[in-house]
Amino acid sequence: MNIGRVAATTAAQLKMMFRRRIVLFWSLLFPIILMTLLGLLFGRSVGAGTITVLDQAHTPGAAAMITALRHTSGVTVKQDSESVASARKQVQDGNRDALLVLTKTGSGPTSATLYYSNASATQAGIMKGIVFGIASRVSVATSGGPPAVSFTQRSVDSSALDYVDFLMPGILALSIMISAVIGLATVLVDWRKRGILRRLKLTPMPLSEFLTSRILASLSLALLQVVVLIAFGAIAFGVHISTTAWAAIPIALAGALCFLVMGFTIGSLTSEPETADAVTNVITNPMMFLSGTFWPVAAMPAFVQSIAKVLPLYYLANGLRDTIVRGQGLVEVLPDLAVLLIVTAALAVVSLRTFRWE
Amino acid sequence: MHAIRVDGLTKRYGDHVAVDGIGFTVEQGEAFGILGPNGAGKTTTLEMIEGLRPPDGGEVEVLGRRVWPDPRAVQGRIGVQLQSTTLFDRLTSRELLELFARFYDRSDGPDRAEQSLRLVGLESKADAYPEDMSGGQQQRLAIALALVHDPDVVFLDEPTTGLDPQARRNLWDVIRAINQEAGKTVVLTTHYLEEAEELCDRVAIMDSARVIALDTPAGLVASLGADVRISYVENGQERVDYVPDAQAAVLELLERARRDGSRIESLLVRGPSLEDVFLRLTGREFRE
Repeated sequence: MNIGRVAATTAAQLKMMFRRRIVLFWSLLFPIILMTLLGLLFGRSVGAGTITVLDQAHTPGAAAMITALRHTSGVTVKQDSESVASARKQVQDGNRDALLVLTKTGSGPTSATLYYSNASATQAGIMKGIVFGIASRVSVATSGGPPAVSFTQRSVDSSALDYVDFLMPGILALSIMISAVIGLATVLVDWRKRGILRRLKLTPMPLSEFLTSRILASLSLALLQVVVLIAFGAIAFGVHISTTAWAAIPIALAGALCFLVMGFTIGSLTSEPETADAVTNVITNPMMFLSGTFWPVAAMPAFVQSIAKVLPLYYLANGLRDTIVRGQGLVEVLPDLAVLLIVTAALAVVSLRTFRWE
Repeated sequence: MHAIRVDGLTKRYGDHVAVDGIGFTVEQGEAFGILGPNGAGKTTTLEMIEGLRPPDGGEVEVLGRRVWPDPRAVQGRIGVQLQSTTLFDRLTSRELLELFARFYDRSDGPDRAEQSLRLVGLESKADAYPEDMSGGQQQRLAIALALVHDPDVVFLDEPTTGLDPQARRNLWDVIRAINQEAGKTVVLTTHYLEEAEELCDRVAIMDSARVIALDTPAGLVASLGADVRISYVENGQERVDYVPDAQAAVLELLERARRDGSRIESLLVRGPSLEDVFLRLTGREFRE
């Protein structure tokens, strides 16, 4: 590999990339617009929504939970219902986002039951997370012995996160995916169709160096996305950035690499720019909604959750969220990193076998 | 050493033979033309010499080196303008030239870019994007890109196709300068007879995958054994004759017409051209 040649070609690739407004729109402006819209609609001020609490237990644990809920930003607590049936009706009708019933039978622990509507999956997911989070904290705080509040221990996203905190890394993951896949799929088909690849074949520059330069340019764009979108989230929406956010860089690079190779594979398998675009959409659109970019995967039905776990975007979003807002270091996200790199390697094998000059 | 030596070169696509065992040599410093109608096999021939398309049979040597199986060995010394290359968007002429100079690992990119632009007369468009330039200017830029690494042999595949007459004449000047002033061997394909006559030291005429004649333009015309071409319309019938003596032939024609009582509707007398060579060799008109 000729380093000087790769560096000069990378610089040229960056010029080509940044002189095209559409690239800047999809990679930076679009995610900012999306974050602004969703942030304003579902962000800090609206939050998880309104919850009805029916306290039939009257235990210290129940009181502590209600206090904790009242102090959770984004949650409005109402205690105006008489019966479980009428309160459930309110949730069904969409007047309340959830209902929490606190009961106590005999000498057992206080039991907390959460009713929610699947009609608003996003809010239900967030509410579930908040209530389980509080239940676990209260349980530990009010008793040294047996648990004061019984709960089902399960990992739910966003337990201590505001929605915008949850959203920002998801949108970052999404925009890295879009820039990377489109950045190589359509471009490769276009270069081939217009004879640019044939022209390159006539020069002593090997394909490997040319592709390396393109990948380096695209990875630089991914880094820019990380910096700009984190900064925007922090400044405009007060997203809480963890001190471990630097560990998002290797995750973002691995994710960008994975989706670049996916784009290269699509570009190798298709012949027309329109086909490449269509295939890109068919692959990225479902991934966008199933991978926990806009709402927690845990809020989705079980079979959807199992689909999410085979999608690379899930691991990219998860890794970015863990490092940027959940305070996890590089070691904790190594599994996400590993999955992204394994998918990259598998796609690289396919794309190099199917690559065509013309 | 020949600039190019081709022997028994063959390319098939399924049952179709695109190039059928052709052979020729090109000398260094020569301007060599491959002339033929569309589909004659010109571009396929060029691509096998350039190292873009592997032949099914025969040999190609460029500057004494075999092109196949490893075309990289000669590609550093040849410059190619492809028939239909568009270039990267959003890079100026100068940036493209400097980038291509880097592809050839040259460190004097800015100088080479400057020189190539001057050679094709495109200095004023150095900082323009190719997508904003005219067809003729884009074609000159493609030729500049073929020259940027100072190659010994330059291949131009139908360089003036699609250009208006003015732009074509400008490009002819550029091609002459590359051959005569810069001293490079030029191999070009064309389906314009005029262009081959105008630019080439020698011309190979291709038709249906074979080289059917190869000589200087003057030599090809002389092979007709006639100095003059007389074409006329007699009683609505178009006729062409090749004759050694214009005066005698015209007198004889008019004499005979009067005797037969037939009517000569038009009469054209001129020196023969490559078009007549093609007509004689194939029995068909050369349609552009």
